[in-house]
Amino acid sequence: MARTRNTAKSPGRKHNVLITGVSSTVGRHLAMHLASDPRIGFVLGTAPGPRPRFLAALDPSRFRYIPSDILRPRQVRDLFHGPEFTDGGIDTVIHLAFVSHPNLRGPKIHRLNVQGTKGLLDRCIEGGQVRKFIFKSSDVVYRLDPTTPVYLNENADLNHDPEADQWIQDRVAAEMICRSRMDTAGMDVVILRFASIVGRNVGGQLNSYFDSGLVFKALGFDPLLNLVHMKDVIEAIRLAIQKDAGSGIFNIAGIDTATISSFAELNGRRCVALPETGLMMMNWAMRKLRMTEYYYSVDRDRMRYPCLLDTTRAREILGYQPSRCIEFRE
Amino acid sequence: MTLSWRRRAWSLAESLLPADELDRLRNFPFQDLGYGYDPFGMERESAALAYVALVFMYRYWFHVESRGIQNVPAEGAALLVPNHGGVVPLDGAMLAVDAFRQAASPRVVRCVVDNFAAGMPWVNTFMSRGGQVFGERKNVEDLISRGELVGLFPEGAKGTGKAFGERYRLRRFNVGFIEIALRHRVPIVPVSIIGSEEQAPMLANLAPVARLLGVPYFPVTPTFPHLGLLGLVPLPTCYHILYEKPFRFYEEYPPKAADDPTIVRMLADKVQVRVQEMLDEGLSQRESVFNLPWSTELRTGVNSHGTNA
Repeated sequence: MARTRNTAKSPGRKHNVLITGVSSTVGRHLAMHLASDPRIGFVLGTAPGPRPRFLAALDPSRFRYIPSDILRPRQVRDLFHGPEFTDGGIDTVIHLAFVSHPNLRGPKIHRLNVQGTKGLLDRCIEGGQVRKFIFKSSDVVYRLDPTTPVYLNENADLNHDPEADQWIQDRVAAEMICRSRMDTAGMDVVILRFASIVGRNVGGQLNSYFDSGLVFKALGFDPLLNLVHMKDVIEAIRLAIQKDAGSGIFNIAGIDTATISSFAELNGRRCVALPETGLMMMNWAMRKLRMTEYYYSVDRDRMRYPCLLDTTRAREILGYQPSRCIEFRE
Repeated sequence: MTLSWRRRAWSLAESLLPADELDRLRNFPFQDLGYGYDPFGMERESAALAYVALVFMYRYWFHVESRGIQNVPAEGAALLVPNHGGVVPLDGAMLAVDAFRQAASPRVVRCVVDNFAAGMPWVNTFMSRGGQVFGERKNVEDLISRGELVGLFPEGAKGTGKAFGERYRLRRFNVGFIEIALRHRVPIVPVSIIGSEEQAPMLANLAPVARLLGVPYFPVTPTFPHLGLLGLVPLPTCYHILYEKPFRFYEEYPPKAADDPTIVRMLADKVQVRVQEMLDEGLSQRESVFNLPWSTELRTGVNSHGTNA
């Protein structure tokens, strides 16, 4: 899987980075961190719409924002031919333009998630300037059933179930596109599969799950779950930018591993067990009543079987070591 | 378990167990990930509760006796390979309890449970909290690389689903355990468990019902299914567990021998023959299936003629 290529890279050189989807939660944290990190060169952020307020305070010599929609070919072309991109010597693209709000679904969202990834990746290959493409994926791509091992390594089966939720299908499809470009000469494609990111103001599936008024879990099951802190996510992406490890897939997990009920208890929520059919209906009702934004259908299997990531590769090749515990609301 | 339940679990264990066993439960090696669970979902308090329940069965129901615990390595990874039988796989539980209380320093035997149990509510949770793992090769390899003691039943579910007439006749061993032992250079301890295969005499297997329920077999015993779940309570047979000297195949074969099907099959057969010999020997020495007052031979090592057995 890992393929080291002879690309003209000098080890000590600073990488100049393009972040797509910089207005997302991870994008915002990443931009703020990279723009203040002396080990990283220039950072270019892009997202549709005007510059988000939280990015206004960043040093303009380190960070520039360009509004661009990756679904509009002309805007992408302008971005790739613009002086910020060419003169800025952007050599690394971090693709975060991915809809991570479970409420948003349907063909338009699919187009952004999958076609957007494909278009951007092909544009990077055509341009010839980009040396590394980093794709943020997640652990929902793995298939979970009674036969899957407790610790999933990067070779574990992906969830190709045609009836899986769009959230999962889009991620698997986008990841397959990235994998199919891994043998591109001169450009590394790095896929980072993150465990669920949990923390204040982070958003995402499991955050809304643990913040629901009542946390419902499957009756008779209480699997182990791993949660990762945003700081560790940023650190893993930084390592992926800096380490020249060739194309490859890396599992990134956090320190915190416990059962669903333990996490719910830590968050000060009552955990109520229901049979599976009841869970579907209760989740639907709670969504309709705006009591939660969580979609049970995304995590159906995760509510029953443990989904822990084997991070041996990330540890050995990237030197990644999780260091932060997740914070729940007080 | 919440913290208050954990406290309750300990106070229950304190009231029911002698001090030395409690000490073992409090101090057995356990890799806590920070929330009281180990990497495979074991929880010390749940394991203690499971032990409390099983040790009563061990003492007063099955009257378990064992020999040869010194053959189980005191540290480092090892595979325990016993026979399997008795419809309800209590043999694994009794083996785990026995190894835990007999060994000089307590170790939990991580028994490998058939995958179908992983999809069953409650069963799944109880098994993993008590330290058992589900049968996937990577799980076993992960356990071995962490230096754990793994109990593996190479007969698989076809062992527990044996008809009564075939008791103590081993089904052909699966070869996966040999591959793992060669690749990871771990010893294999052959174990014989006598008593388990009579605890629930299986008269027939209703295969269509089993297929419908998605389980490997659906037993008909003198008490099941017409007495309901109560019918699954085993007969109070007397258990004899024997641990023999470990096989160290890795001393003779390189790890890449695991890729040679002939060698792997031959070594699996070698272990199977050894376990079968141990069973035959134990059965020929046994006087009674149940723990009757006059069947004292195996317990004392002296038979009715006054000579050593």
